[in-house]
Amino acid sequence: MPYIDEIELGDEIGPVEKIASDEDVLNFCEIWDAPKPNRFTDPEIAAKAGMQGTIVPGIMTMAMMAQLLTDWGGPGAIKDLDLVFRQPVPHNRALTLAATITDIREEDGEHLVECDILMTGTEGERYVGGKAIVALESR
Amino acid sequence: MAMELEYDRSLYGVEHKAGPFEITDAIIDRANSSVGETGPAFHSDEEAKKAGYRGRIAPPTLCCILVRQVSLPDVKVQFGRTQMHAGQRVEPKAPVYAGDQLTASSHLKDVYAKTGRSGTMVFVVWETTFSNQDGQVVAEVQESFAKRE
Amino acid sequence: MHSHSVSSDDSRATVEQYVKWIQVLRKRGHTVDGIVLTEHRKFDFGKDYSALADQYNLRVLKGSELDTRYGHFLVYGVTQALTQEIEFSDVRMDARTLMQAARQHDAIALPAHPGRFGIGLTDYIAQGESFDDVEIVERLNGGSRPGENERAEELCQSSNLFGIGGSDAHLTSHIATCMTDFKANIKTESNLVDALLSKEFQPVWLKDIVTGASQS
Repeated sequence: MPYIDEIELGDEIGPVEKIASDEDVLNFCEIWDAPKPNRFTDPEIAAKAGMQGTIVPGIMTMAMMAQLLTDWGGPGAIKDLDLVFRQPVPHNRALTLAATITDIREEDGEHLVECDILMTGTEGERYVGGKAIVALESR
Repeated sequence: MAMELEYDRSLYGVEHKAGPFEITDAIIDRANSSVGETGPAFHSDEEAKKAGYRGRIAPPTLCCILVRQVSLPDVKVQFGRTQMHAGQRVEPKAPVYAGDQLTASSHLKDVYAKTGRSGTMVFVVWETTFSNQDGQVVAEVQESFAKRE
Repeated sequence: MHSHSVSSDDSRATVEQYVKWIQVLRKRGHTVDGIVLTEHRKFDFGKDYSALADQYNLRVLKGSELDTRYGHFLVYGVTQALTQEIEFSDVRMDARTLMQAARQHDAIALPAHPGRFGIGLTDYIAQGESFDDVEIVERLNGGSRPGENERAEELCQSSNLFGIGGSDAHLTSHIATCMTDFKANIKTESNLVDALLSKEFQPVWLKDIVTGASQS
């Protein structure tokens, strides 16, 4: 895990590539008892809602974004993760997750790093975007 | 003529309680496996203790998943047919441990209209505070939903 | 010329973060002289960024991006009188009324991202609507999906319109991805309106401009 003094504005976290398979989404939906059938696992319902196929739940993409940050800053590093779901995210497609550090500051004795965080597709789709605040250790 | 939004304004200022939600190992396991979460502190007591926790902790967005089990009242927005999840925010305040019993308290934050690529949409924003069995706030979650024509 | 701070519902960047990020861009060799905040459906009369702007040697001007029934419009030179005549939060206003009211109050309103699918001016023109008062459009928009800026470019060529560039930033690191290169030296919102009326400007991509005077 990086120390605060190793970080500079403009540094990148990631990118990492991920895929949400049909099975992953099904598994995820069962945690919160998603009412069935739904647009996440049923192609017909997705089509009725105007989607081109089943989609990945927003909160699942959020869990993936959080993972990018906790892998980098530690399991309790996230102070704030604030995301906008801009476009439906398809199953079984390469998703690129990356963050860019946009602010470094000290607040109430904590060393905070703020970053823009994005999930994009191979054709330049901006699926999910937002910002995160992560606390890092100082030496 | 300006667009007048019709919805149940009496919901402002009312807290809706839900829970308790038990954070079982099985829930954490499933949350981990579905997104390939490999963070050691999310997997075992032993690894979590190495990172300074008293036991296994849940990944930071678990409350965002639980919030879907909070049944919120109908805001009765007289607009649109389909509803999409437009955004979500979580501010983790304290660790959520395996075995915790969490309760939720939600209130309506805002309702407003805007236009985008898919036409006019009405956004409904809810805020939920999660607390553990000791009354400690563990996370603040904000969800926004877009209703479109 | 087009950016959103946390004052807009869907942006996550503070003005201070934009300004700091511009220092990163300057370090990388880009020239950025100013930004214009165009918050959605409102104008922030109460907000004053001049101290921040002076500290970082940057212009921070204010405008608005309004929803209309013919897509989004950027408004520069907003005055109290204009906000009294036009309800800024009305997402179904007629863009033509807005453009006329803006000119009467020494402001200017022009279509944002006209090539945007579903909500761009090109779609409304294709439906038979006409907009005689439009002389300038946002030709380059940093938030565009593939094909949308190309549609804006075609509109400019077919209708003989002038084009500006705006980043449409909602995140800190997206500020200044597209800018407008003005001949004039712009210090105030009123200078900006005059510079737009002079038609002496061109849209530019950040990646293409390492030196030069630009407003995001």
